[in-house]
This record gives sequence, C-alpha cells and structure tokens, in this order.
Amino acid sequence: MSWDQVLELIKSILITQTGIPHMTGGQVIMLCVGLLFLYLAVAKGYEPLLLLPIGFGIFIVNFPITPLMGFSENGNPELIRFFYKYGVEWEIIPCVIFLGLGAMTDFGPLIANPKTLIVGAGAQLGVFITYVGTLFFGFTLKEAASVGIIGGADGPTTIYLTTKLAPHLLGANALAAYSYMAMVPLIQPPIMRLMIPLSQRKIRMRQLREVTTREKIFFPLIATALIVLLVPAVAPLMSMFMFGNFMRESGMVRRLTDTAQNALMNIVTIFLGVSVGATMKAEVFLNWKPLLIFGFGLLDFVICTFGGILTVQIMNLFMKEKMNPLIGSAGVSAVPMSARVTHVEGLKADPDNWLIMHAMGPNLAGVIGSAAAAGMFIAMFQ
Amino acid sequence: MRIFIAAAVFALIPRISWAEFSEDIEKPKPEFSRQGDRVTAKLIPRGKSTSVLIDFEVSGGKLTKVSGVDFETAARPEVDTKDFRSALFMAEVAEISPPGAEVKVKISSKFFSSSTQYHVFNEHLEKPWMISEAGNIALPDFLQELVVTVKDGGPYDSDGAADGKIVFTGGPRDSFWGYAVGTLFIRFFGVFIVLGVLMIGMIVSGKIFQTMEKKKVKPAEKPKPPAAAKEKPKSPAPDKKEVSPEMATAVAVALHLHLSSLRSSATMPLSVPRLDSWTQHGRQQMMEERFLIFNK
Repeated sequence: MSWDQVLELIKSILITQTGIPHMTGGQVIMLCVGLLFLYLAVAKGYEPLLLLPIGFGIFIVNFPITPLMGFSENGNPELIRFFYKYGVEWEIIPCVIFLGLGAMTDFGPLIANPKTLIVGAGAQLGVFITYVGTLFFGFTLKEAASVGIIGGADGPTTIYLTTKLAPHLLGANALAAYSYMAMVPLIQPPIMRLMIPLSQRKIRMRQLREVTTREKIFFPLIATALIVLLVPAVAPLMSMFMFGNFMRESGMVRRLTDTAQNALMNIVTIFLGVSVGATMKAEVFLNWKPLLIFGFGLLDFVICTFGGILTVQIMNLFMKEKMNPLIGSAGVSAVPMSARVTHVEGLKADPDNWLIMHAMGPNLAGVIGSAAAAGMFIAMFQ
Repeated sequence: MRIFIAAAVFALIPRISWAEFSEDIEKPKPEFSRQGDRVTAKLIPRGKSTSVLIDFEVSGGKLTKVSGVDFETAARPEVDTKDFRSALFMAEVAEISPPGAEVKVKISSKFFSSSTQYHVFNEHLEKPWMISEAGNIALPDFLQELVVTVKDGGPYDSDGAADGKIVFTGGPRDSFWGYAVGTLFIRFFGVFIVLGVLMIGMIVSGKIFQTMEKKKVKPAEKPKPPAAAKEKPKSPAPDKKEVSPEMATAVAVALHLHLSSLRSSATMPLSVPRLDSWTQHGRQQMMEERFLIFNK
C-alpha cells in the first residue's frame, strides 16, 4: 500500500467515521445551550429534575452523525428515538407522570374550599390570550394552542398537548414551561403587589374545615366522572391523575402508591427529560419560533397570574366572606411553588396571616384547569 | 436576564445556521376517490387532527377529474392561506351541451358551516379571486352543501372558452379570525363550566358527607340541656372534693417552683445561634426535600 493510499484511507475514516469534519456552527451553539441548562440545573438548582436530563439530551444529540435520534438501516428507532417514540409520541410518559403526581397530591385543601376551582379556571386566562397573540406572529392554530398551554404551568400537560398538536415545538415549549415554573418566585410577586392593595393582602381567611378520609376517597371518583364526561379528550391525563390519588387515599396499596410516587416517577422523568432534550437538534431548534415561544411563555405566566387574582377579586364582589386575592396567583399550577409565593407575600403583608393551605386549593385547581384547557384544545382540533 | 441572553444568542447566530421553518407544515394533502359521478376528497384540513371528506358532484355535465391545487400558485396579496383551511381544488367538467351552457357544481362536507363561502380563482382575469354566489344549503346529518353555478366560458371557467369544457378552480373559505376568536371564547368559558360543574359536585358531595359524619357522631353524644351549653357548671362533679383557697394557693406555689426549676437559667437568645455548616446544610436539605417531591 502506498503512502497516498494510506493517507486516502485515513482521510476517508476521518470523514465517514468521525464527527469532527461534520460539526456545524448551529450544533456548537446548541451544545452551548445544553451546557447552559445543565449549569442552571446543577449550579443554580432551577428545576433540576427536568432541566438536567433535558440539558443533557440537548448536549448529546447535537454532536454530528450520532446514532441517537434517527432510525437504523432496518427501520428500527435508535436509542433516544426509541424512548421518544414509545414514551412521548405514544403519550405514555406524561400520563404516567400524572399517575405519580396524583399519588403525591393531597386534595384536602381543595375539597374543603371548592370555590377555589373557579380561581383555577380564571388562572387559565393567559393560555387563551397567548393562543390569540401567537396567531398574529404566524403560528398555526395548533402551534398557537401548544404555546398557549405553557401558561398552565403544568409540564406534563404541556408535553402531552404539544406532542399531539405540534411535536416540532416540543423542545422549546417544554424548556419554556419548566424554566418559567422555576422563575415563579420572580415573576409573580411584582404582579401581586401591583394588582392587590395592601388592605386586601391582609385579608384573613377562615380556617378550612376538616376533610374526612371518605371524602378524599370519593373525590377522585367524582372528579374523574365529571371531567371525563364533559371533556373526554383529557381522559388519559385526568384518569391517571385521579387513579394515582385514589390509590393514595384508599390507603390499601401503600406499596403501589410508594412506587408511583418515587421509583416510577423517577424512571419516567429520566426518559422524558432526555427525549424532550433530544428533540432540540440545531436544524430544528435554531429559528425565530423558539425565541418567540420563550417571550410568549413569559407573557403567558404573567397573564395567568393576573387572571387568577382578577378572578378572586371578582368573586369577592359577590361573597360575604372574602378570599385573600393573593391566593388567586396560586391558580398558576406550579405546585407548590406558587402556593409558597402566595404564603410568603401574605406573611409580608401580615406576619400572622398563614395562607399556605388556602393557596393549595387554587394551586390544585390550576392543575385540573390546565388539563381542562388542554382537553378543550384537543377537542377543538378533532 | 435569561431572555436577553437568549435573544443575544439568537441574534448572533449566522443566518446559514438557522433552520428552515417557513415551510407550510399544515398544508392539506387531499386524496381523491371516485364513486360513480361523485368524486370524494379526503384530507386533513388546517387546524384539525382528523381527516374530513369533501364530495364533488356536477349536474349539467360530466365531472371528469378533481385534483388538489397548491395554494402557492394562487397566492395573491388579497387572500390569506389561513382562510382556506381545506385547500384548493381544480374540477374539470366535460360534455357540456350546448357549449356555453351553465352547470351546477355541488361541493358538500360535514366540515363546512353555514358561513362557509366558495372562492373561485381564475388566473387569466385582472382580479383572479372572486367570491362565488354559492348557495349554502343545510342537509340532514350535519352536511352542508355549496352549489356554484358555473358558465362554460364565463369568469369562473379558467380555460376561458365556451368549448363544452370547464376548468373550475377554487376552495371553501371560512374566516380564520372569526373561527379562532370565536372558539377561544367558547373554550375559555368552557373551562369555567367544567370546573364550575366539578365545584357544584364537590359542594353537594361535601354536604352529604358532612351530614353523614354528623349523624354518626350524634347517637354517641348525650343530649345536653340548652342551659348547660351556655353556663359553666357551678356544682362540682360528685366525686371531686372542694379545695380550700389555702390549699389552692399552696398547690399553685408548688407548681410554680417545680416548673421554674425545670426551665433553663439562660434566657432565650434573641438572635439565631450560629450554626455550623453541617447543621445548616442539613436544615437546608430538609426544607428542600419537603417540596422536592412536588417538582414535576
């Protein structure tokens, strides 16, 4: 073999079997984006359970000619495409996450004060306003709906709806949703102080009544029946949510509840994060739409907070026993972050006013409200 | 701050790196089938996830072919793609007798509404887009039929000649913004209705369960006379002896001395004691873990 042939062989190996010559500028940028989210998750602690796997998914998939998100020669999905296809595309993972969430959730504060369901509905205002707003910027109806649901501040619902309606926006929507959920303590307080005068922030609410175990057992059955009858499209999410809650409240299957809350949630969170991150390849992600999505996502959160507070203020016009409008912001279903924010703002106004349990009602109502809004969008396009 | 960083990153990206996102990803792609004189188009319109059927029939001629038309070829500033959710169609009608006669083209679908119009495109005219005066007829089973009268050689005939053949191009049109905003209000208030119904269900069930709990508790309680509920019992329990004031004073002093001896002599520090890093870390971790399980 001559030297020319050896050099030719080495060149061919470099070109066809290594990624170095195939690296593009876009991929370098996306690698930096992935590293940024890893930094936010690890160093800053922003939603690490999701941002870490998402960030790593972005990182690994933006190296050239990697057999991760494609299909093999015989048509089989490659590793992360496999997770994405059978977990996200088939809508299994978001529903299983809701199963785990239901197993963790105590609906007592909501059952004790069902009026807060209306607050959860009002906090979906941003979803629909953002939906209209994005249409002006050239988004299609389905894309607009998937961007609008970001304001529901519900990660699995956002992923579920986006996968159904606009899967090419999954990465951007999920990132925006989880990033802004982590920023709720920064986004909400200024709006709360602007909208609610100090006198209203000091309103004290009567202690919630005691909720019996029997009520908590029947609640998931009643809620499933009513919601699924009215919005059948949201049955996969809501039924899993209430199934998890029913397991928890029955008290008869602690092993299953424990698995749903812990091991199962952790497993699906890993696969979800990596799959979502892996959808953000440079050739898909680098365009004006993700930037707009981030902008609209922020606006969405702001308007949802506004909507929740406004709903309480309107309800107070008709109620003898006033609710503290601060709990309206907890209708943004970043559980329990926004309830905590409400509590902290309440303490600042009145150090003896403990709002955390009152805020959990609208917080949980927001989960149901955002799922209902998603169901409305799904039904709209059927 | 993060938004500004993201905006700066995107602004610095070279144009060649930007992904092609301008393609029309919701473009309907109709598939045609024929049953006798009727041609049916099956397509997924814009803003839907399921397919719809649109039937084409002609009276006064023979419908030879119906095909889809790319909107790009008919795009003009005065029309918006978004309004034509079911794509454009080109229907070819032959055997029109006599040449120059009129035919009725019937387009029907469950996807149409009472406000759907049929817009016709003829590229040979100065103003190529025209609103046809189609009759919109409601048929049973939620079917809506648009009937367009087309004259051979008339403005709706793209071949422009009264030759016994018609080439008729156009598509059904619904107002995009009317649909978007209308459905927005319906859906938004729909969320209120759903949660309102759930609220009523919970209030009713809550009252039922509270009543059941009260009924359970009531038989176990002794009935109290109304006066006893308001007044404190003046007479002591039969098995309790009266305590003299001196005895009561002695007992009180003894208790005070006993409890004082149990208290730390040091006063409660007003400031938070300095904790070592290990303790601080442990406390932080405990507080974080309380809410960590709720992170989704």
